[in-house]
Amino acid sequence: MLTGLSFNFTLRLYSSRNENMSQSSLYNQNAKLGYSTVAINHVIDFKEKKQEIPKPISPSELLPSLPIIPGKLKPIKIVTRLTLVVSDPSHCNVLRATSSNIRLYDIIAVFPKTEKLFHVACTNLDVDLICISVTEKLPFYFRRPPVNMAIDRGIYFEVLYTPAIKDSTMRRYTISNALSLVQICKGKNVIISSAAERPLELRGPYDVANLGLLFGLSESDAKAAVSTNCRAILLHGETRKTACGVVYTMKKPQPVEEEEETLPACKRAKTQV
Amino acid sequence: MSAPLRRLRETPRHLLVCERSHVRHERSRHAARVRGHAYNCRVSFLIPECGVLPEPLKSVTTDMGEYYLVKNLPLHELVAQEFISAFVKTGSCYALSYNTRIDQDNTAALLPTDCHSPLKHIGKLILSVDKDTYEELGLQGRPSRYSGKKIMRYIITIDLTDSAFHSDSKKYKRVLWALRDKKPLEFDFLLSWHHTGADGSTLMSYFSKHQIQAHQPKITFSTLRNLQCPVLCSNELQGKPEESCSAQELFEWLGAVFSNVELDNKSFSFVSTYCCPEPSTMMDQAYLCTITGFILPEKIIQLLDQLCAYFDDPKLAQWVTLTVHGFADSPVSWRENEHGFQKGGENLYNFVVFRSLDYWLQMAVGANDDCPP
Repeated sequence: MLTGLSFNFTLRLYSSRNENMSQSSLYNQNAKLGYSTVAINHVIDFKEKKQEIPKPISPSELLPSLPIIPGKLKPIKIVTRLTLVVSDPSHCNVLRATSSNIRLYDIIAVFPKTEKLFHVACTNLDVDLICISVTEKLPFYFRRPPVNMAIDRGIYFEVLYTPAIKDSTMRRYTISNALSLVQICKGKNVIISSAAERPLELRGPYDVANLGLLFGLSESDAKAAVSTNCRAILLHGETRKTACGVVYTMKKPQPVEEEEETLPACKRAKTQV
Repeated sequence: MSAPLRRLRETPRHLLVCERSHVRHERSRHAARVRGHAYNCRVSFLIPECGVLPEPLKSVTTDMGEYYLVKNLPLHELVAQEFISAFVKTGSCYALSYNTRIDQDNTAALLPTDCHSPLKHIGKLILSVDKDTYEELGLQGRPSRYSGKKIMRYIITIDLTDSAFHSDSKKYKRVLWALRDKKPLEFDFLLSWHHTGADGSTLMSYFSKHQIQAHQPKITFSTLRNLQCPVLCSNELQGKPEESCSAQELFEWLGAVFSNVELDNKSFSFVSTYCCPEPSTMMDQAYLCTITGFILPEKIIQLLDQLCAYFDDPKLAQWVTLTVHGFADSPVSWRENEHGFQKGGENLYNFVVFRSLDYWLQMAVGANDDCPP
């Protein structure tokens, strides 16, 4: 029987440091486990003083060649993600700024620390993911109206599993927080991801889908949490670069200067982009 | 709170169909079942109380036919009229895309038999594509049955030997345009062709422009010593307490034997606590042979006939088993039933042939599968 554990979508990495050696082993482990897309996460915590949002690292700078998934011939795909840890309403202003480097990230996630911010994130903010705290008791209860609004807007909720691997107290918090989330959102729009910093903290996609059963998801929801929901998040992130998700603009390559001079001015193309 | 706990206690959906008949019975469906399961990746047979394989069986196992692996074959080559007239219409041509996962990638397969007329040579190209590819391809298909509310998977079936599918028809032109110009799809294919009659061109020469390699199935033999095996009674599928074991217990025991699991439930063993089902006997030796590759149903029928012929001479064994596993990533299981991969893609069948030529046939599928016929 063919037993390839190769799988569809994402897994989140949590790395704000540039240690190339350990990172390449992380990507190799991901490819070996069978993930086909990996997201590199940059975390910005606004509690610390004045943080500038850095430009995302392009995957080609990190690794000269991407590892190939065994059992397929395509290499792994790497996308970039930004997580904002917000504990004050003024921190959300950076999302509305048009000139910052936020536009360059593929996925934007927000980690609200208070109930008011959770409500604002579900209803107003232009993000793709809302992270659920798994390392401490939930500071607020989930309520149905903002969660349903988030589901309608296409925002997904993220549960991490790596803290559960590291420590047994965090395991209790992970399960109880995830159970309360799934009770409110009825299993829709949930993804499970790792915040791995070392290859040993990664688990295979089918194992993570099984873990979803423990969180109260049904079999198909748990599998979707590792595959189709992640694809939906990537598409949601792409629509931020388009006009309402319908029109997609691309810069046309500039024509060579000498060819233009032979034509009289009135005959030159009116639109020059 | 109790719903997740209840769900945890349930195992994922799986089906095991057991039926019983006699090999020489006129309405026995064993050959039809074998022919219906087109893509087989592993065949194993277990003969109890046997140390040396008899000659006819050995010659059949070593002659399981070769199969070919073609890399980067564009899909429109399988729809070309020359291919159809040379291979599809003159024999049974089997093709399956290699290294593609049924739950995430696009998969293609060529089925040679029709469920209604198994002797007629036809060809059906079955494509299992994801949502993006389906919307870009432009061919008509139906959503997959195991896709849930948000449809992520579509199945497209193209009948290559249909009378309306000749070079001038609109249908053919549309299919060729979709597969060649609109969205060219390329796969690595496992190919095999079964034909009777004159040779003509072979697959090797037809695809010589692409990287085609011939492969022989891998065969391993082993003799198991001191094996505890269950007592079976051919009339009792359910087993009688204290007299014989049921078909499900035999199925599990066979799986344990193939996985080399210790059957005696030693107290220090952490791997398994499985015991051989009672009543059981101790066998001195048993012969286990495994053939791995892209194996055709026609060869499996020959092997099954030889196993039935094993009982022509008096033998110590009461029964022999033949187990066939299908590919976990094939788009179809039996005939044109759709096959999916939820957390495991098993689709296998197992024959138990008794001395009296009664047989048990067990067909098992996993979660995202239709019930076997």
